[in-house]
Amino acid sequence: MENQLKVLRAMRNWSQAELADRLDVSRQAVNAIETGKYDPSLPLAFKLGRLFDMRIEEIFDDGFNGGNDE
Amino acid sequence: MTVSTEAMMSDAGKVAKRPMSPRRKRYFIALGLAGLFGGVLGAWMQISQNAEHSTGFAMLSNSPLPANFAIGASIIWVVGMIVSLVIYHRAVDDHEERAYLWAGTAGWYTITLASPAWWVLARAGLAPPADAMLIFAGALVVNCAVWLWLKYR
Repeated sequence: MENQLKVLRAMRNWSQAELADRLDVSRQAVNAIETGKYDPSLPLAFKLGRLFDMRIEEIFDDGFNGGNDE
Repeated sequence: MTVSTEAMMSDAGKVAKRPMSPRRKRYFIALGLAGLFGGVLGAWMQISQNAEHSTGFAMLSNSPLPANFAIGASIIWVVGMIVSLVIYHRAVDDHEERAYLWAGTAGWYTITLASPAWWVLARAGLAPPADAMLIFAGALVVNCAVWLWLKYR
């Protein structure tokens, strides 16, 4: 799943390790989410939303466009 | 002003490490305990193995062991693993939990595939008797490989 995590982190000048500390997860978890290799659990997605003061769907994009392909 | 706490410069100009969070402390305590129990058991087994039947490295042998060692080692293994695992599962984040679950599944599939196949081949006289520890070791290797891949790729 695509996400804005890397951009949001860079805007705050945080390293992956610092973001990991703020979320209380490992640096590998942050890296895996940023590179799209791992989709976070719902509690972690909410944590991210609260940390960046954004809605989950503003951070993550599941590629669903509401069925408006035409 | 936004200040990165990735590395804080001390007065001497050296890079100071970030303080460890309680979660990370629990994580490394669990790994340390597991390593300690394993190291003690391995060393004790090496010392205790019967010299007459010894084939060198005790962990790769099926030679007889003293009863005292067997009782003590089995208690340390079970208690040590339970304590380490409880601390570990309280410390891991959900990324590692996922890696752990998939690694466990892959290890279980290794046992599921190998055990019955080896068992029927042995009963037909086409293979030596099934070796539980060899199957366990194979499952552990698969488990570790999958866990490392999912956590660090």
